[in-house]
Amino acid sequence: MLTSVLRNLLRSVVVLVVVTFVVFFLMYGNGPGIARAVMGMQAEVTEENVAAKMVELGLDQPLLVQYGHWVQGLFTGDLGRSFYTGQSVTEALATRVPVTLAITAVALVLTALLSVLLGVTAAVKGGRIDRILQFLSVLGTAVPSFITSIVLVFLFAIFWRVLPATGYVSPDVSTEGWAASITLPVLALLIGAVSSAAQQFRTATLDQLGKDYVRTLRARGVSERAVIFRHVLRNAAAPGLTVLSLTVFSLLGGAVFIEQVFALPGLGQLANSSAQIFDVPMVMGTVLVTAVIVLIVNFLGDLAITLLNPKARTR
Amino acid sequence: MRLVTRRSMLTGSAAVTAGAILAACTGGANNTGGGSAAGGAKDTLTLGMTADIEGWDPNNQPGYQGWPGEAIWGVLCRANEFGELEPSLAESWEISDDRRSFTAHLRQGVTFSDGAIADAEAVKANFEFATTNEATRSLYEGVTFDVPDAQTITLTWPEPQPLMSDRVFRIKLTSPDLIDSGNLNDKPVGFGPYLLDEAGTTRGSVYSFTKNQEHWEADVYPYSKLVCKVYDSETAALNALKTGQIDGTLVNAQSYDEVTGSGFEVKEMNGQTTRLLLTDHKGEIIPALGDVRVRQAINMVFDKQAMVDNLYAGHGEVSHQIFRPGSAAYIDDLADPYPFDVDKAKSLMAEAGYADGFEIELPTMDGQNHDVLMPYITQQLAELNITVKQVPLTGANAIGDLLSGTYPVVLWQLGNIGDSAQDIDIVVRDTGYWNLEHQKDDYVDEQWDIICTGTDEEAEAAQKAINRYIIDQAWFAPMVNPTSFYAHTADVVIDNVSDIEGLAPKLRDFQ
Repeated sequence: MLTSVLRNLLRSVVVLVVVTFVVFFLMYGNGPGIARAVMGMQAEVTEENVAAKMVELGLDQPLLVQYGHWVQGLFTGDLGRSFYTGQSVTEALATRVPVTLAITAVALVLTALLSVLLGVTAAVKGGRIDRILQFLSVLGTAVPSFITSIVLVFLFAIFWRVLPATGYVSPDVSTEGWAASITLPVLALLIGAVSSAAQQFRTATLDQLGKDYVRTLRARGVSERAVIFRHVLRNAAAPGLTVLSLTVFSLLGGAVFIEQVFALPGLGQLANSSAQIFDVPMVMGTVLVTAVIVLIVNFLGDLAITLLNPKARTR
Repeated sequence: MRLVTRRSMLTGSAAVTAGAILAACTGGANNTGGGSAAGGAKDTLTLGMTADIEGWDPNNQPGYQGWPGEAIWGVLCRANEFGELEPSLAESWEISDDRRSFTAHLRQGVTFSDGAIADAEAVKANFEFATTNEATRSLYEGVTFDVPDAQTITLTWPEPQPLMSDRVFRIKLTSPDLIDSGNLNDKPVGFGPYLLDEAGTTRGSVYSFTKNQEHWEADVYPYSKLVCKVYDSETAALNALKTGQIDGTLVNAQSYDEVTGSGFEVKEMNGQTTRLLLTDHKGEIIPALGDVRVRQAINMVFDKQAMVDNLYAGHGEVSHQIFRPGSAAYIDDLADPYPFDVDKAKSLMAEAGYADGFEIELPTMDGQNHDVLMPYITQQLAELNITVKQVPLTGANAIGDLLSGTYPVVLWQLGNIGDSAQDIDIVVRDTGYWNLEHQKDDYVDEQWDIICTGTDEEAEAAQKAINRYIIDQAWFAPMVNPTSFYAHTADVVIDNVSDIEGLAPKLRDFQ
């Protein structure tokens, strides 16, 4: 068990180094181009001016040296400053990460609950309920999130006016405001995620329901409720957790778009706007945080599966 | 047992989340509205910005949607939509006959938000600071200062300044102490009509301001609070407008019917001219472009009215000149010098010896309406056997490549600035960054000298002469002045857009 945990940890660190290394080299590879872009259209452009800008931004150093400085800064909590605004990357991330985490975490919890509920119900009940849930699931997966977002905004913000169309309110300012500001983005993320995850839970539950031990339990007179909740769900949990950890990745990816539509000042919006203007320190900051979140989720998912799986525990 | 515990936790989470959503549905929606539309009174003006500011450095503020900057900083003089100076910190001023010196007489009793006095020394410190910024360095290089007293300052350039108004209104004034500290991006200090409300501000998302009651023009800015919200997508900005979260935002032509149909008012502006820039006048890269008949033929193959009707859905005006109507260079009542006539264009190409045409590379970039324009441009140039090869520009090198002179012909929607001398400086003169090949022209230089040193009348005549010359020489193929739109609630009144670029209302235009 401990070996497995340590192996996962080591793998996570290696992945983090590889991801940041590759992205760093891709982003910083064109130093003169970045310096020119930062100078803007109206600047007087001469080779000397571009060279001076590169020195000012630290782009004149060899790439490995620049990466070394970046990693060094990482250990002191200094991820550099925006090429444009001079804002500390760490400071920017501190305001952005909670927004993205809020919508993805709430969406994940609801996805877990609803997908288990719907998936198990479809598998156990079968018949018309299964077909209806499957149809809704396919529909939810097929409809792109931008369509979902537009429909949600039209209904809840424009037509009924019960929820705000855009913006984020910190829970420090108002709990109600916070809940209101994340509801539509969460719903937009949720529909696709639940549709996909519920299908997986349905398949995993059906798989378990067809196993011999279920027949044996039923033959012994164990109640159907106990069979489902105490035995089937427990055995279906491992593939379910894998699905949920994958859902986190799709939620994070979806957040990039959702934050644009709902004007949420989160990581996705920061990554998008920074990448467009080649504000590479900001881009690196968002890449780092996203990679860390993904690796933590992956690690916790693996850990949970290990804990649930007696064979893995004894290894 | 473990399973029961996990189930309890999940149930608990669900309850909390459901509770939060219910709370949101029942009471949260109305808390986010900030505009006057929601409140019904002019207490708060909430503007949607479709582009963020790049920090608080006063030297690095956008002219376009630069409301946070207009709120915070004051200027020596401000400019109206045609670049004519109006009082600000300077109550009055004189420009020397040789157009080298600008003497400003400053109003008394003005202080920055950090308590420093906004006097002549502070003005001097700011203009000196501008010489250290690469975007403004060349504009203030060699300027000398004379400060006879605290309320008077004379700025003198080594050369005559035909663009005096641009040089004067461009600099946003901040406290000399802040300049000395070097921390200009951390926190803005100014004496503008509003003060930053730090508690209500999240960089990249929302900027809040409270009225500066000390400002001498407090009455001109009727709103006690200003909020600027950043929207990366127009969809989000439109939704915010429709739900009363903002009072106004820029919208594109595709959204025109939607916003007017929803009962919003729209202020129309024509601050751009869609044009082909035929910058290789001397044919150094594409020899055919060195022949004026070829350039004129190119002008004649575009049906401008059809472009307005079909490519801009009627939201625009046919354009024969690159300059803003009403500006000094603009020639009133100019008949179309190159009416749409494909046959005549073909014969001009044949006369010039280019009946078989040639190939050009046209760079394309996202956000430039190229997806709509390029098919038509390509099709019409093919009438002259001119083959268009589109080159998409992306990545960090895009702007550098565009302006590098690699592409002697470029299709672009460029601004037609209210002070037409600026357009001449930027797109006509060989030093201008939009004169991509930087090809020198003696006639333009002669007229520019007159603009620099002549009387006001002579300078205006010289601007018109340059306009007529570049029309005759067909340096450009102007096509359409597309209309841009600012959509706003009925509570907000925008009678006039005083933006010299004509692209968005200025803060003082919101009444």
